[in-house]
Amino acid sequence: MATRLTTPCSSSSTNFSPSSSFNNEAKLFTRFISMPRKYGLSTWVSHIHSKTHARKHFLLNSSNEHPLNAFSLQDAGLAGNPLAKERIEPPGKERPSIPMSEAEKEESTLSITVVGASGDLANKKIFPALFALFYEDCLPENFTVFGFARTKLTDEELRNMISKTLTCRIDKRENCDDKMDQFLKRCFYQAGQYNSEESFLELDKKLKEKEAGKLSNRLFYLSIPPNIFVDVVRCASHRASSANGWTRVIVEKPFGRDSESSGELTRCLKQYLTEDQIFRIDHYLGKELVENLSVLRFSNLVFEPLWSRNYIRNVQLIFSEDFGTEGRGGYFDNYGIIRDIMQNHLLQILALFAMETPVSLEAEDIRNEKVKVLRSMKPLKLEDVIVGQYKGHGKGGKSYPAYTDDPTVPKDSLTPTFAAAALFINNARWDGIPFLMKAGKALHVKRAEIRVQFRHVPGNLYKRNFGTDLDKATNELVLRVQPDEAIYLKINNKVPGLGMRLDRSDLNLLYRARYPKEIPDAYERLLLDAIEGERRLFIRSDELDAAWALFTPLLRELEEKKIFPELYPYGSRGPVGAHYLAAKHNVRWGDLSGEIYE
Amino acid sequence: MAALSSIHCRSYSYSPFLFSSSSSSINGQQFQRINFSSSGISKRFLPAKLFSQSRKNSYHGVVLMQDGAVAMPVNPVENEASFKKVKDGLLSSITSAEELKETAGFDVNKDESTVIITVVGASGDLAKKKIFPALFALYYEDCLPKHFTVFGYARSKMTDAELRNMVSKTLTCRIDKRENCGEKMDQFLKRCFYDSGQYDSEENFTQLDKKLKEHEGGRLSNRLFYLSIPPNIFIDAVRCASMSASSANGWTRVIVEKPFGRDSESSAALTKALKQYLEEDQIFRIDHYLGKELVENLSVLRFSNLIFEPLWSRQYIRNVQLIFSEDFGTEGRGGYFDHYGIIRDIMQNHLLQILALFAMETPVSLDAEDIRNEKVKVLRSMRPIRLEDVVIGQYKSHIKGGITYPAYTDDKTVPKDSLTPTFAAAALFIDNARWDGVPFLMKAGKALHSKRAEIRVQFRHVPGNLYNRNFGTDLDRATNELVIRVQPDEAIYLKINNKVPGLGMRLDCSNLNLHYAARYSKEIPDAYERLLLDAIEGERRLFIRSDELDAAWSLFTPVLKELEEKKIIPEYYPYGSRGPVGAHYLAARYNVKWGDLGAEQ
Repeated sequence: MATRLTTPCSSSSTNFSPSSSFNNEAKLFTRFISMPRKYGLSTWVSHIHSKTHARKHFLLNSSNEHPLNAFSLQDAGLAGNPLAKERIEPPGKERPSIPMSEAEKEESTLSITVVGASGDLANKKIFPALFALFYEDCLPENFTVFGFARTKLTDEELRNMISKTLTCRIDKRENCDDKMDQFLKRCFYQAGQYNSEESFLELDKKLKEKEAGKLSNRLFYLSIPPNIFVDVVRCASHRASSANGWTRVIVEKPFGRDSESSGELTRCLKQYLTEDQIFRIDHYLGKELVENLSVLRFSNLVFEPLWSRNYIRNVQLIFSEDFGTEGRGGYFDNYGIIRDIMQNHLLQILALFAMETPVSLEAEDIRNEKVKVLRSMKPLKLEDVIVGQYKGHGKGGKSYPAYTDDPTVPKDSLTPTFAAAALFINNARWDGIPFLMKAGKALHVKRAEIRVQFRHVPGNLYKRNFGTDLDKATNELVLRVQPDEAIYLKINNKVPGLGMRLDRSDLNLLYRARYPKEIPDAYERLLLDAIEGERRLFIRSDELDAAWALFTPLLRELEEKKIFPELYPYGSRGPVGAHYLAAKHNVRWGDLSGEIYE
Repeated sequence: MAALSSIHCRSYSYSPFLFSSSSSSINGQQFQRINFSSSGISKRFLPAKLFSQSRKNSYHGVVLMQDGAVAMPVNPVENEASFKKVKDGLLSSITSAEELKETAGFDVNKDESTVIITVVGASGDLAKKKIFPALFALYYEDCLPKHFTVFGYARSKMTDAELRNMVSKTLTCRIDKRENCGEKMDQFLKRCFYDSGQYDSEENFTQLDKKLKEHEGGRLSNRLFYLSIPPNIFIDAVRCASMSASSANGWTRVIVEKPFGRDSESSAALTKALKQYLEEDQIFRIDHYLGKELVENLSVLRFSNLIFEPLWSRQYIRNVQLIFSEDFGTEGRGGYFDHYGIIRDIMQNHLLQILALFAMETPVSLDAEDIRNEKVKVLRSMRPIRLEDVVIGQYKSHIKGGITYPAYTDDKTVPKDSLTPTFAAAALFIDNARWDGVPFLMKAGKALHSKRAEIRVQFRHVPGNLYNRNFGTDLDRATNELVIRVQPDEAIYLKINNKVPGLGMRLDCSNLNLHYAARYSKEIPDAYERLLLDAIEGERRLFIRSDELDAAWSLFTPVLKELEEKKIIPEYYPYGSRGPVGAHYLAARYNVKWGDLGAEQ
């Protein structure tokens, strides 16, 4: 099988972008985007230099509402915001180094500042992901990791804290300790207030020390509560933007809690950043099987004719966790499962699943198609949603708490910890096909999967072998995103033997068996993409708007009408209401069908 | 999953009727027709079957069908009129409706029908290796009627005990059916008897008939003759059996093994001769490949899975490959083979049958006649095979690891100057709307590097593939492929392009697979078990009808004749190799790459 030889850490787009034909502006600039990987390749830098003027001009005419235009601005690194302009001069002094010599190739630097470094996400995901990238040689040679938070810590203390969560992959044990030490030496800490420009100025100083006058690229990862997003962005943008390279900011959910607050947040962010500096992360899009969804669809002929209402009966997007809020319900209670999982993760997967074939694999092309899906969706009606909340449950002598037993949750909270919804896409491909979503906490399993149920065979010759319910004998494609990544296709098969008994067998691909290598964490992929300027897996403003526009009326209605959630026991299969919702649309949940789950 | 809870040993065509009582009127028509053709199977055996089978739950489905069939004679004229073809098969041997009613009234004598299976050529290899063991397996699984007897018939003088001794050596129990194995074997062997005689002597068969009658003890008698003898004595044996050892009041069926002639003429002559003594529906031409589990499953896969439905045509399928290879040569038994060659031995029958099953249109029902009608249509739509679309080979000797492997012509039973192909590859085309232009490639050979039988379906490449650049220059290497491995290690897998997990975007080809050994712990029954049971039950789906045979021969006869007349010299290939390279050039001409010789194997 022919595969392209690429370095293990090239980001998803880099395989393709060099081949783009340079027949228009957008394409031209995508080339720049793919270049930073090469860190200061002379042609790239000189190109920027020579184009600076033109680009600034372009900037004036551009509007952030047109991502393609904004897109073209950013990677000049010269920032599409007024603040950057001030800085265009000083870097000029450093520019004489251009054109760069071979030796100077190494002269660009990358600093990743984790804002909220003492937080949970930072410790569990971000630092380990950065280390994994370092281990795989995916980070540029001159990189620095900065932790930033309010807590006073020394560099040593930060390193000590981080080192506890760093691990090497099972298949990458070699020199693990060595590598860890090398990595930790690149980690530094700066304490400061999130809303203090002075603190960020101080940070800037430190960053500059590390950059030592080289070309500087800066990535800020905001791992902080949403209420201080804007403050941090303001301070970082004003005081700690890169002078001569790029500055990018990764933002984590929640992106607001409805259309208005999200719109407001976007507006505020855009005061200080251009669209293409904002990397809204949805870590589900970084999961291996979600990435593979497009490969599966677009590189296998056998799926091509099947991917429409002609053959697909329904699609199910299922997320479940086998634990509750466990004392951390404070944040969750303000959002609920619909905002926490459905409006972002599941809806993003849905859009990726249902989109038309994009013109290319470029970020803008894909995101354009996704937006089209979101905008084609039928408004959600209250009766197509059911909500649930887990209650206490005693099992095997153990007592599991109710959601409202969580001390951080108000006793009378109506926040759903479970929801199921039927969505429809009013376009030619999907008209009438129910897309069912289900997400819940404190259920019986931990699982995320996509299930595609096909129609039954018209005029099936083997009808009588299936009993009365033909729908139970249809094909089903399952992409199990986690745990135990797998793809399987349920087919009807003859049970070997002298009779003619049919049953359903799986044509399957269990990743663990086929690919013994550990699968990288979603955060690794996304961090690398952000570093390389690959935006495919990040959410564009208009995508976010469309997603909120779909869910906001419903969420408002749920809250205004104080819809009481159906209570379900901790560790159960969720409220039965989900079955009735499915039944209404002639669907049977694939994950609760009595078949043994592998 | 709602699976039909049928009894393991019941043959397929009956299972639908389990639900027929509850099924809607849509099925009424079909139901009636099947009833009728089943009465056409042989009216004499009919009541007998009813008796022997209604006794057991395991024959529940059959009972339902038979009920209908018994009811039929009330207005036989109408039925016969509307199903003339079947009727033709009936008339000569039909018993009167009165008689049917009469026998149907014998309910008290339900247990009084018998089945006797006479293996003609009992001392032969096939009989010992396949037929007796298959009969025993059926017996072990309780698939044989209560009163059954097995007779061995051959020229050698033998006592019953000697036959039993001989048979017992090859009987085995399945791995998962070891319980009481010894006991069951003893019980089975007690039902085995022997009679010696000449194959062309009616007297000897009269003698056999006497013995059979003894065992039948006046009960309703059904007789199945399995002719495991060389083709030159087929007719004699059939004549004698039919004249002197036919059942008087039940059915008489004859299973015939290949070769069914060696070209159109000889095959037609054979059929004509057989039909002097037998009706079409008494002749069961066996092609044991059709009894293989995965060949059986081919139709299930196609017709009960929606996902394959849109794919099954020239629009998505680029080519189909039918591959058969053996890892041994003739090994001193080339005498028979040399007269036929690999094309007649494997292609014209086994591979062509699979091809027809693969390519046929959806039949009206799963009934034998409906399926065979569709198969004949495929065969008749096939483009005549041209000489240049065939590559033949013959294995030569080869020394490997100090061992010398013989050439085909080193076989003492083979003439030194034999040009008989031991390998052949051919490109075939079906000139119909579904398959126009799609090459069906066949390949069959002896003394190759592996033992294998498989069907490979290569799909077209993705038009406008977004991931084109990940595949290098040869897009065809990155297409989907469905592989049905018939033997060994039964499996179905679908090759799909997949992203290699990791941070980059490397694609590779992975398999969505179903490995039978992993999924189904039960041992898969031998093809002969299924086919013998089908013959006993009168199920003809897996047997070859005369017109199918004619069509198959008319496809291959001209090219066979040309090969022989022009004395085409086969391309030599070393014993144990991958066969002559000519096969690759043949494939290349039709833009095909053999799937079994890719680098991934």
